[in-house]
Parts: sequence; C-alpha cells; structure tokens
Amino acid sequence: MQIQYKPKRSWLGTILHVEIIKGLSLTLRKLFSRPVTRQYPEEKPEIRRGFRGQHALVRDPQTGTSKCIGCMRCAVVCPSRCIRIRIHKEPATGNRRIIDCYRIEALRCVYCGYCEEVCPVNAIVLTEVFEYSSNDRPSLFFTMEQLLGNWDRFAAQLQGPVDEYVNPFWRPRGLPEHTLPAPKRLPVSREWSGEEQVVGKNWRRHHRPEQS
Amino acid sequence: MTVLTMLLHIVVLVVVVLLHVAYATYFERKIIGRMQVRMGPMRVGWHGLLQPIADGVKSFFKEDIIPERADQTLFRIAPVICLVAMMSSLAVLPFAEGWVLADIDIGLLFIFGMSALAAYGVVLAGWSSNSKYSFFGGMRSMAQVISYEIAMGLSLVGVMLMAGSLNLSEIVRAQGDSLFGMYLLPQCVGFFVFFIAMLAETNRVPFDLPEAETELVSGYSTEYSGMRYAMFFMAEYIGMLMMASIGTICFLGGWHGPFAVPFFPPFWFVLKVYLFMFAFIWIRATLPRYRYDQLMGLGWKLLIPLALANIVVTAGVKALIG
Repeated sequence: MQIQYKPKRSWLGTILHVEIIKGLSLTLRKLFSRPVTRQYPEEKPEIRRGFRGQHALVRDPQTGTSKCIGCMRCAVVCPSRCIRIRIHKEPATGNRRIIDCYRIEALRCVYCGYCEEVCPVNAIVLTEVFEYSSNDRPSLFFTMEQLLGNWDRFAAQLQGPVDEYVNPFWRPRGLPEHTLPAPKRLPVSREWSGEEQVVGKNWRRHHRPEQS
Repeated sequence: MTVLTMLLHIVVLVVVVLLHVAYATYFERKIIGRMQVRMGPMRVGWHGLLQPIADGVKSFFKEDIIPERADQTLFRIAPVICLVAMMSSLAVLPFAEGWVLADIDIGLLFIFGMSALAAYGVVLAGWSSNSKYSFFGGMRSMAQVISYEIAMGLSLVGVMLMAGSLNLSEIVRAQGDSLFGMYLLPQCVGFFVFFIAMLAETNRVPFDLPEAETELVSGYSTEYSGMRYAMFFMAEYIGMLMMASIGTICFLGGWHGPFAVPFFPPFWFVLKVYLFMFAFIWIRATLPRYRYDQLMGLGWKLLIPLALANIVVTAGVKALIG
C-alpha cells in the first residue's frame, strides 16, 4: 500500500494557493454557525440518567434511615478504597448488622459507580448533583448524616416521584431479570431492560443530543 | 486660534483612534471566537461590550514590573518609541476630503519612515529586556521589518507612478469616484505584494514570528507588564489601522464611494478600513505561522522581484500612454 502524504495538485493550484482559499472559506462559513459554548452558571448542562455525581445514601421512607445492610460489598469493590464502614452485630435481633459509621472520602473517589452497581439493596447512589465544590477538605469527607442529607437534597429537586427514581447502576441495562437480586429488579421501560434496550451508539441515534 | 483648533483636532483624532483600538480588540476576539465556534467575550456588559474598557482599566492599575538586570532607560522608552511613531503617522492620513491634520506632500514617505522607526522600539525592547526570548523576538522583528519594508515600499511605487504624487489626498483624488478608477485593478500585483507585506509589517499571523507565543513566550514584550505592555499592544493595533488606511487610500479609492453619505464624509473610508481589519482577523483565525526561513525566502525571492517587475511594467505602460 502506498500512502500519499501530500495530495497532488496542479501548477495552477500551487500558484493560486488553493489551500489557503479553502481554509479561509471554511473559517468564513464557521463565522455564521451557532457557537457551542454553554454560558455555564446561567445555563446548566442537561444531565442524563447515569451521571455519576455527589454521593448519597438513600433514605428509606419506612425506617427514616439508610437502607444499608452492612454487607461491605461497596467497601470491598471500591478501587480507590474511599468507603469506610464500621459495623457491629446485635445478637438480640438475630445477628443483624448495625452500622456504626459509614464514611466516604469524596476527594479520593474516582466516580466509577461500582459501589452502587454492587449494592444489593440500592442503598448507595451517585446522584446527578455536580456542584458541590468546597474550599476545605473536611466538608468533602461525607459522614452518614451528610450522605443522607445529600439524598434529601437530591430527592427534593428530582422531577417525578422519588420512589420511581432508577439509574442504570441500580438496574443494570441488558441483564436478564432473574440474574439480579430482588431489590434491584426495579420496574423500568422495555427499551431499558429487554432486547430493544437503547445503549451506547444506539442511544444517540434514538435521542437527538439536545446540547452537543 | 489656529493652534487651538489644531490641538482640538489632534485630541479628537487621538481619542477616536484609541477608542477604535480598544474596540478593534473586541472585534477581533469576537470574530475569532465565532470562527472557532465559540462566543468570545460575553461577561462584561451586554455580550461583553465593556470588555475593552475593563481590559484598559486593568492594565492601567497593574503593577509595572521592570526586571532588575534590564537596561532601565531603554526599557522605559522602548514602548513609547513604538507608540509615538505609530501615532504620529496618523497625522497624515486623509479620512475624507479635507479631513487631514497635516496635508504634507511626502505623506507616503513619512508613513514609511514612521513605521520603520516603530521597529526601533521593538528592537530596543528586545535588547533592553536582557532576556533570551525578548532578544530573539527583537532580532526576528528587525530582520522581518527590514526585508518587508523594501517589498512594501516597492509595491507602492506603482501607485506613486500612477498618481504622480506622494501626497495621500492627491493619490485618492487621482483615483476618482468610479469603481474602475481604483488602483486595485491596474495595480493588482502591487496590491498582492502590499497585502502580504502589510501582514508582515504589522507582525500579524501568519508572520507573527517576533511574538510567536508558542516558541518565544511573547517575544519582545515578554518582560513587559501593565501599562507598558498595553502601549505595545496599542502600537500594534494602531499599526494595523494605519496599514489598513494606507491600503484603502492607495488601492481602494480612499473616501470615495458609490454615493456620498451626508453629515459623515469618512463613511466609505471607515467601511473600507474595517474591511481590511476583518481580513487581518480572518487570516489570523485561519492560517498557521510561517517558518522563519520561509518568511525570509518569501520576502526576498518572491515579493521583491514581483514588486520590481510591477514597477517596470507600470512605468513602461505610463511612458507609452502618457
């Protein structure tokens, strides 16, 4: 195979600098195109389902506290080891695990989403909130109360009922229902769960990107 | 009385030109932004309209740092030389019939002299900063300006021959009202040479080697800050405006237009100058930088012979017809 690095051109093209004219016409055309800039603080980006943002622990409406059962799977799977859980067992209630402390170091987190994917009861979630920068470190070491508070704040600004909220980590796309633990078999639309699931490149084809 | 009116005219001219310079930066940033599918300045005022004023205020109040090992005197006067040389050549530009501060008969020569003087400012800035980047920038600027000054001077000799005068107002009058009176058509080779030499003379892309920010930080103005840096910047933009004006006067028929605009005679002049400015910016948004040896090769091997041939042909044709 012969690779032609320099396209051949006629002597007339060389004299008249056709490439320069082509370049100028391109920039002139782009002058009248719509800019892609988003004026950020005024114009927020549209966040899609599956965005991995601020950490939160889901508040269980029945018990008023976290759904976490202390199985330690999230702490084990976490690649950056940013989740710390301390538990004790209470023989009185049939060896149920009671969580003493649940902490996430947001500064070490790599936002991979493994913790919410592995959680059998959908207790942990990476919410769609992304504006939580801070000038000091301690406020980014989330304790259990802070994590529950994060969920309350996220649930308050969520459109639609809170108990219908589902993300692609709680109910992984493309997996058959029977392979999932019971709390993860959440009701989702057919195109999410079944054969016609729309993921990856197909997603872009189905839903026109609103903001490039 | 005449002195007073003259002073008033000078003040008005300087203020108007400085405002133009300020808004030329806005114009440039906006247009380059749009060409790169961005928006350009948007924050200060409506669509960033107050951005040039904010920039001006900022550069006035910034700390003026002078390097310890720099040549103090030269370092201080270099930007002033640049700015003064550029501003004084504004005096001979005819903006409309009779709208000229100094209607001197060597107008074009005066402008050449002044723009060559401005090169001193750049070279001295590069030398006195005592920094390798500034020094390289100054050296490059010197070589570039000298070689392109020749090409530019020669390209305008054709115009001088046709108009029979060096007085800028006379050159405009010689071109007359009509479209075919413009020297753009008979002097198209001269215009080509002039246009390229104009880009090189004002140190604009694709010939911005003296301040090539990718290799030389900022070239000759690396060590400058605050007001002195702003002076270099102003000098560059006034230089652009001036070169655009010379192009308008010598090739596009100056203040003449299809019809006379009431109350504002320089309308067509300003429009044509802005056309040139747009071309400057358009080229900046499109082309990459020339390599140094290519730049010199283009100047000496192509532009100067072309300009010389243009002079011979123009003089021959004029001798045959006239």
